[in-house]
Amino acid sequence: MITGEQKPLEEIKGFLGDDRNVLVVGCGTCVTVCFAGGEKEAQILASSLRMSTKLGGDPKEVSDVTVQRQCEWEYLDVIEKEVQEADIIVSLACGIGVQAMAKHFPEKWVVPGLNTNFLGLPEEQGLWTEQCQACGDCVLALTGGICPIARCAKQLLNGPCGGSENGLCEVKRVKKDGGIPVMETDARGRKRPVMEDVECAWHLIHERLSSLDKLDLLMEVQPPKDWSTSRDGGPRRIVREDLLLLDEG
Amino acid sequence: MEGDCHYLDGNLAAKKRVKYIQRVLNAIGMESDRIAMVNLSSAMGAQFAQVATEMTERIRKLGPNPLRHSPQAKAPDGPDASE
Ligand code: SF4
Ligand code: SF4
Repeated sequence: MITGEQKPLEEIKGFLGDDRNVLVVGCGTCVTVCFAGGEKEAQILASSLRMSTKLGGDPKEVSDVTVQRQCEWEYLDVIEKEVQEADIIVSLACGIGVQAMAKHFPEKWVVPGLNTNFLGLPEEQGLWTEQCQACGDCVLALTGGICPIARCAKQLLNGPCGGSENGLCEVKRVKKDGGIPVMETDARGRKRPVMEDVECAWHLIHERLSSLDKLDLLMEVQPPKDWSTSRDGGPRRIVREDLLLLDEG
Repeated sequence: MEGDCHYLDGNLAAKKRVKYIQRVLNAIGMESDRIAMVNLSSAMGAQFAQVATEMTERIRKLGPNPLRHSPQAKAPDGPDASE
């Protein structure tokens, strides 16, 4: 699924400018499951914006509506009336939903209320982890279902680097809670972000292949990965001639 | 008491949610002290009275809900003051 985190309220407020009628639009799919932009979050954001702009002496009219999926035209048709009544739309969908809204309602100003983060797995309640970078040429059959593109800091394809130690990657991660870095004070009294360990993807790949007696997969020499299927070729698209509607003109 | 909840670890979960609401209130510009969580058992009548008195004092110091005295949006909108 696509994961996201809501932008800070101040940043969203900054997008509103002089517009009076604000419509917050939630999305009922991925961002609902990651508690960032579903119906509940749209209502909380609308309420927060109403209260905050009122306290700031510039009260806005803020309403909210949530559609099943913001990335499909038919679901956007349903909210035509609400959209037309608003001066500005705050979309709580992923970047795809925001762009779909902007394209579907070209005369409306649409701004994002979320930062879209990654393609991730809801590993446990309250924890999402990046699993795939949509490289367009999947190598999981060689790596035991563990992606070295998304989960190795260096995107290595030929085994671990020299920084792999006791199953951990040499590249640490800034610990965050709700998108905000967790800070600590060092011995000299300076504030710094808390760093946390990250599993080495290649260690995991080795462990898994070894447990399934498939380590020989790593002995095969692989041709260089075809990155033209990834972002190297510019924006990508999928065309299925068999599915395209007939041109009736 | 904390961690010793009728709903097992319910009050530990609630504590984290209260912290989250405090963060939301801060972002809005409301004093986060307007919400607090205290763990008491049903046999702690005196402590309950004391905590309630302290909370009342704290809220009194913060004053009434500032939203009640703020300008309204041009078109009248819902029951904001009670949000
Ligand atoms: S190899 Fe590519 S497509 Fe497969 S999981 Fe990794 S990033 Fe995604
Ligand atoms: S330690 Fe492992 S995960 Fe980290 S960069 Fe090296 S190979 Fe990749």
